[in-house]
Amino acid sequence: MATASGPARTFVDRFPSEAGVIKANLLVSFVALGIGAFFGLVQALHRTDILRVIDSADYYTMLTGHGVLLAIVFTIFFLTGFFHWATARSLDRPAVSTLYSWAWFGLMTTGTVLATIAILGGLVPNLGISADVLFTFYAPLQAHPIFYIGLAMFIVGTWLAGADWFLSYRAWRSDNKGERIPLQMFMVLTTMIMWYLATLGVAVSVVFFLIPWSLGLIPSVNPLLTRTLFWYFGHPIVYFWLMPAYMMWYTILPKLSGGRLFSDPLARVVFLLFLLLSTPVGIHHQYLDPGIAEGFKFIAMTNTMFLLLPSLLTAFTAVASMEHGARQRGGEGYLRWLGALPWRDPAFTGMALAGILFAAGGFSGMINAGMNINYLIHNTLWVPGHFHLTVGTAVALTMMAGSYWLVPQLTGTKLYSRPIGLLQVIMWFVGMVFMSNAMHRAGLAGIPRRTAEPQYQNFEFLTPIGSIFELRVQIALGGTLLFLSVVLFLFNILLTSLGEESDRPVDEYLPEPLSGPEGSPRVLDNLGLWTGIAVVLVILAYTLPLAGIIQNGGGLFGGGLPIPATVSAGLDFVTTLVTTTVNTLLEVAA
Amino acid sequence: MAVDSTAEGSAASPVSQASSSGDVPADAATQRGSSEPPVDSIVGTADDGIVRQIGHDDFDPVGTLILVVIYMIILLSMWVFMYFIEFLGRGLTVVG
Repeated sequence: MATASGPARTFVDRFPSEAGVIKANLLVSFVALGIGAFFGLVQALHRTDILRVIDSADYYTMLTGHGVLLAIVFTIFFLTGFFHWATARSLDRPAVSTLYSWAWFGLMTTGTVLATIAILGGLVPNLGISADVLFTFYAPLQAHPIFYIGLAMFIVGTWLAGADWFLSYRAWRSDNKGERIPLQMFMVLTTMIMWYLATLGVAVSVVFFLIPWSLGLIPSVNPLLTRTLFWYFGHPIVYFWLMPAYMMWYTILPKLSGGRLFSDPLARVVFLLFLLLSTPVGIHHQYLDPGIAEGFKFIAMTNTMFLLLPSLLTAFTAVASMEHGARQRGGEGYLRWLGALPWRDPAFTGMALAGILFAAGGFSGMINAGMNINYLIHNTLWVPGHFHLTVGTAVALTMMAGSYWLVPQLTGTKLYSRPIGLLQVIMWFVGMVFMSNAMHRAGLAGIPRRTAEPQYQNFEFLTPIGSIFELRVQIALGGTLLFLSVVLFLFNILLTSLGEESDRPVDEYLPEPLSGPEGSPRVLDNLGLWTGIAVVLVILAYTLPLAGIIQNGGGLFGGGLPIPATVSAGLDFVTTLVTTTVNTLLEVAA
Repeated sequence: MAVDSTAEGSAASPVSQASSSGDVPADAATQRGSSEPPVDSIVGTADDGIVRQIGHDDFDPVGTLILVVIYMIILLSMWVFMYFIEFLGRGLTVVG
């Protein structure tokens, strides 16, 4: 462990320019969190028929706002702020150009504002602007062009942000030849490589199909193609949300526990596995799409099951690091050490509770991932139940808890209130237990998702245990607690930022891992090699399915209806394409 | 250069640098209680409650093993439960 030396200086003292950029990112993130959480409350009360203050047609506008503002804006702006912090901290150097950092922030924010205007425009009658296309914005639902243009700007902004961190890394590398990549920097780089690879799909979908289609430049699109391109991006975005949370669990949670990271090499392996396996699995969201052959879905399922490995490795490493902290704090026994953990620290408790619900989300995720079992719960309320445990808790609660430790480093002020912070994270946990378990059970009873009024005449859903009314009450109660939790969080962070500067606003020291990278293979740091393998896996997983979708769906721009497909159809298409190309080339050569 | 730890913030590192890596005193829990920072204090001070340093070779994460095994048992029993309810209870699901 590093020794204590020198005066305590917080992050904002050492990197004032970076702190400014990070604070701006977090501000956008938290504003989106507030609005999105309010929409969530309205939805929870509406669809359970507890309180209906909006027209059911507006439910879908709010659902889109909830999904986009929370799953894209809140999470990714937090990520960009957090990665900017991690890059400066782990390399111990400022960004190459502050102006450039503000440029990508400005582009992302402008895109966000455009997309949000398009969504909220749906609430204003006769405005002619709307984007009720949900977070999964594929065809045939169509949004106003500024929604897609805003999204495109946002995505390009994240690309530029990634370039900012790669430039910092390059500058560090030129001064530190032969050194192992610092762990947090390694995590930033691998996550961004995964993101570049993943966002190619959504970029192609938005720029080549959805924008021209919404502008009326092309009459139609191939709906299955845009769905597939969305899910090509739509699953890795799950890991793009998760990676900042994982980075906190690996590099901050051990410290918050009073211990040290169990294994640095294991953390690197986990992030590499996510780089390799996050993208070639998107088709597991399309198990019920008729235009994709079952064989390709089976490949996606196999890849998905492999993806459980890094999450299970993480569960082990995170818990082992916490146990190390507990035992250093005097914890004893097989399980009594759990009592020695710093449960009164909201940053620690929030992350630990997030981890517990993520373990439950892991189970429901395995159900989603199984091809045949998925049929039981596909498009039911089970699925939102699942992702409110993962992105809604593992990610969101970890980010909020992490903010209690991170924000004081950026403002130089102490957290306004630890007890309120503790109440907030516990309230989130309890609210989510109510809401998510009820959603899962409602899904098993067949209640659909994405529905403003899941109540039907002459038909009643049945549940083997409890009653549908009880499930509705649990969802409404949980949603209310979650909203109140967000209000407490925003209140606490706002008052923190307005507080008086402190000499020691937070303990930001991070100890060395128990097992460092020294003995691990250097090939782990060969990012070019891992990127190459990731690209090959994507090509293997997607070439034939995409070929089949284009062939069977009436070409790139549609015109036909997706029909049940087989593996051989995709193979036929590729064979025909290659043969035609070779023949053409031979003719030209002749 | 240190792998992932820069010198920054190190002054805020735990008081336990001076602690010897020995056994926990019998009244460690009491000591921990008294050294716990006040409730409304700064975040991230779990280090202040460290009563001993445990190195890599001295750390045996047996508690982690127990928790992981418990989780796996829960997973397995839920899978078995689901198999009986959803498959044996409803007949075959045909894929392909």
